Amino acid sequence: MRLLAALLAFAAAGAVHAADPQAGKAIAAKVCVECHGADGATPSSPDAATKARTPILAGQYRDYLARALTDYKIGRRTNAIMRGFAAGLSKKEIEDVAAWFASQKSNLHDQR
Amino acid sequence: MNRLLLATLGAALAFAAQAQEKKTGQGLQNALAMCIGCHGIPGYKTAFPSVYHVPKIAGQQPAYIVAALQAYKSGERSHPSMRGIAASLTEEDMKKLADYYGGNGK
Repeated sequence: MRLLAALLAFAAAGAVHAADPQAGKAIAAKVCVECHGADGATPSSPDAATKARTPILAGQYRDYLARALTDYKIGRRTNAIMRGFAAGLSKKEIEDVAAWFASQKSNLHDQR
Repeated sequence: MNRLLLATLGAALAFAAQAQEKKTGQGLQNALAMCIGCHGIPGYKTAFPSVYHVPKIAGQQPAYIVAALQAYKSGERSHPSMRGIAASLTEEDMKKLADYYGGNGK
């Protein structure tokens, strides 16, 4: 029973350490901020059309964001700019940055 | 002779109307019906080919929504359900959907 409790505690700790939003925040401040904003809620670009096409990331589902970054990294999604940035991120960094943006606020929501 | 001409004209008009309908798309309500089954349900996850939450699209930037739909239609983005749905949408449908969902944003 004590072994089971220890195992459970270990598993819970593992889950907590799986993604680190604060580490993601640091990555976002360096890599993503220029186009998506540091919190992912404020797209920006010198070019108005590019700005309009840049998605809001704040409040998006964590696993969808990680999926999108992975897709860019492996070439399943083909945006040239995003591919370059995603290619530079490790699997752990993708999880961290996805956790960061997912934890931020925007008006993104599920709605009919 | 006049009657034949009229009938021909009538057929031509009907055909033109049909073509016009195709060009203007299926309308917002019909297009929306394809979205809400997944994007209208909080926490809904994809079933295939791998499992993750379908993205929140309400409040998203309209131009991004159009770009995403175009990328699915062209095959540039690869999710099977989204490719099928986007293939059935005209540019006008895409814009209407994008304005509808994006209009809920900031």
